[in-house]
Amino acid sequence: MMRYFNTRVIENRSLGGGYFVLRLGGCEPLAGSRPGQFVMLRGDWGRDPLLPRPLSLLSVAHEGRADLLARVVGKGTALMERSPPGSRISVLGPLGNSLPVPSADVTDLLVAGGVGLPPLFMQAESAARLGLASGSEMLYGGRTSRDLVLLGEMRALGIAIHLATEDGSLGRRGRVTDELEARIEHWRAAAPTRCLRIMACGPSEMLWAVGRIAQTDGIECYLSLEQHMACGIGVCLGCAVAAQTRPYLYVCKDGPVFPAAEVMARATAAASSQRQGGAR
Amino acid sequence: MTPSLDSREEEAPALRVTCGGIEFSNPVLTASGTFGYGQEFDGLLSLRGLGGLVTKGISPQPRFGNPPPRICETAAGMLNSIGLENVGVEAFAREKLPFLRSCGTRVLVNFFGTTFDEYVDCGSRLAALDGVDGLEMNVSCPNIKAGGIEFGRDPTVLGDLVKACRAVIRKPLWVKLTPNTSDIVALARACADNGADAVSIINTITGMAIDVRTRRPRIATVFGGLSGPAIKPVALRMVYQVHRAKIPIPICGIGGIQDGTDAIEFLLAGASCVQVGTQSFVDPASAERIIREIEDFCRTQGVTDVCEFIGGLRWEP
Repeated sequence: MMRYFNTRVIENRSLGGGYFVLRLGGCEPLAGSRPGQFVMLRGDWGRDPLLPRPLSLLSVAHEGRADLLARVVGKGTALMERSPPGSRISVLGPLGNSLPVPSADVTDLLVAGGVGLPPLFMQAESAARLGLASGSEMLYGGRTSRDLVLLGEMRALGIAIHLATEDGSLGRRGRVTDELEARIEHWRAAAPTRCLRIMACGPSEMLWAVGRIAQTDGIECYLSLEQHMACGIGVCLGCAVAAQTRPYLYVCKDGPVFPAAEVMARATAAASSQRQGGAR
Repeated sequence: MTPSLDSREEEAPALRVTCGGIEFSNPVLTASGTFGYGQEFDGLLSLRGLGGLVTKGISPQPRFGNPPPRICETAAGMLNSIGLENVGVEAFAREKLPFLRSCGTRVLVNFFGTTFDEYVDCGSRLAALDGVDGLEMNVSCPNIKAGGIEFGRDPTVLGDLVKACRAVIRKPLWVKLTPNTSDIVALARACADNGADAVSIINTITGMAIDVRTRRPRIATVFGGLSGPAIKPVALRMVYQVHRAKIPIPICGIGGIQDGTDAIEFLLAGASCVQVGTQSFVDPASAERIIREIEDFCRTQGVTDVCEFIGGLRWEP
């Protein structure tokens, strides 16, 4: 059940490249959170920035400990990155829906782009806990090797990892979607009857590309979306995304995880018309 | 002798206020568009403890709102262009009102239309519902027949609209004024002259923001409504202008209230009660905290009744 509470940072670990893991204590209300769920987080930093920041949960452990992965992109994340242990922080959560539960009958291709890692990391953790680590593989991409973080932690979960960087500094040179196509091809050849499922989180361009691949190959696919939001609880209605079955769905309360077909068509159409508008 | 619990209770300042025909247990309400239909905040704060709540703006038919991006953060504030999305009168009555009836606080329903007839229709249907304590008219809606200019910008149009709604609405009728005007007093007077019971001052201020990297507006409709602490000085000024003009209906002050001190400023400027808006996004339990802070401030000031603050600004020209 969602709760609003104040707690403190107990550890703030820099991972380089602007990435950091914020470890919070006193997060007992987050016990039972599921992969894909998020929290609204705000430090004790006055009036600017004003709004709390939505962050996906990376890991929720015993003793009320919760880990969040973020990258410095603006004022809010810059302030979080500089929050030393002991800093006060307010938390609203857990919020939103979650990724499908790992299943022995399905191979899950977890596709993460940069700071979109947390829901998929938590999903991998959950698969490992269920003894299903061998049924999932992580496909993780970024611009450079500095965008690929927590690799040691991921390896410790015992799931297969396939990396891609645009500059070729680590793993395959290219996009994570190239790796996705390669893995689908591999599974089609190695185990043609094996049921595949894709779950992805990352930049929107990446998500639409993942969705198109899934559509083409007829693979069940879930996208975890990111959108600006003020409240996280379906009140501000700021996080609308164009949807298939309704004019709009809300990332905070209907998502953040959506079946790809639900959010793909109109969103990609809107993105391409925006690009054309920008070129005029 | 140590004071008994009873005598300490006697010392508790009186927080009860009356505004626009409605009595509230304290002067803090939550503002339309920032508190959903109330139920969303159930469990995050005590709804029963609020002075009242104002629902999301309701139109005769459901509305789906504007394309994204709909919001962006600005310095000490935010811009929104949600597009007045709401469930419509029927679904409101069927799905939202049962909870509101039982939540133990005063309920004002914000409403609007895109034509005079829609306003009258929507207002009269909502006023007929059990559990609705009063109505707040949102007049910052484009008047399609008048080329999309907001109903609330022209005192004559606004006066006619208030009169038409007043004729069919038997419950307290408040009007939420737009600050996007050169003469807030004229707008407030038009409301008072045509039978409104109170004015809510202010709605959001029109603004915009640009993403310099993409050179695109940061919200899809280019312009949006600015809210949050950034607008408090403007809101306070407008409340005071209307108060000073001795417009004969009470004022509900709105704009960037973050704490008890902010709320008291509005009372001193002439508001009889206040609404907490964007702050409910920052801290969902803020309205409850603000009530406590007002109470504490009364104690430290030796004020026994919060009404002492209303219009209490000390200023001699």
